[in-house]
Amino acid sequence: MDFKEKIIDATREIFETMIMVDVTPGEALTEHVSKFKCSLSAMVGFAGFKQGNLAIHAPDKVAMGLTGDFLGVEVDEINEDVQDAMGELANMLAGSLKPFIANDGGKVELSLPSVVHGEEYTLTVINKADWIIVPFSVSHGDFMVGLELKKQ
Amino acid sequence: MGKSVLIIDDSSTMRKIVNRSLRQAGLEFDTVLEAGDGQEALDILSGEKPDIILSDINMPNMDGIEFLKKKAEDASIKDIPVVMVTTEGGSEDMVEQSRSLGASGCVKKPFTPDQVNDVLGPLL
Repeated sequence: MDFKEKIIDATREIFETMIMVDVTPGEALTEHVSKFKCSLSAMVGFAGFKQGNLAIHAPDKVAMGLTGDFLGVEVDEINEDVQDAMGELANMLAGSLKPFIANDGGKVELSLPSVVHGEEYTLTVINKADWIIVPFSVSHGDFMVGLELKKQ
Repeated sequence: MGKSVLIIDDSSTMRKIVNRSLRQAGLEFDTVLEAGDGQEALDILSGEKPDIILSDINMPNMDGIEFLKKKAEDASIKDIPVVMVTTEGGSEDMVEQSRSLGASGCVKKPFTPDQVNDVLGPLL
């Protein structure tokens, strides 16, 4: 799936313009990650011509740090602000990628963001999907942006 | 008299983010009013007359489109400029509809402070 550069560009633009933090991309993962510990995953679904989802997976500390930067306040717990802010980041990323996902003119709609948080959780991987997960580093630590699109 | 703004969004977090973006754009308001949906905004506007309104489009109860329709029917508030705040990749139909209903502009997330200033500045 040729979305790596698009994900990097969109993530950079959103984080640098809205949160004003620099992000450094890493190499795309070669193995899918679905199990997380003490983390938060914010997801937005794609429906219509293409189905799938966009997700940001961040350890608690990184999610709190990014939210603090986003809101301009100190955040020391995973609260509604963190869930909403991470959901909004996922929403903006999905929106930025939507034109490329709907590249050949099909209509693609975005779902409202959903957020999962916990000490340990597993996310369901879409069957028969193309996927890419790109890790990023910020001053608070590392997070990942994943895109899954169902094969047609 | 100081300037005032009404921010309408169902997420209190997004209202904080929009407020912070205004400050980053150099737009300081003495009064920042907040509403969680269109109906709550209309209730506030029955007593307050802010200089400008920033509104999300997709909201439960009364969305941004319905809010614009109701606002246009009220002579006491119909001239207050409204800027819609949307996300890149969101529904273009709703953005167009908001313009046809009198929205003065639209800022799409992610936005830079300059972009916020470009849209809101001339309206203040």
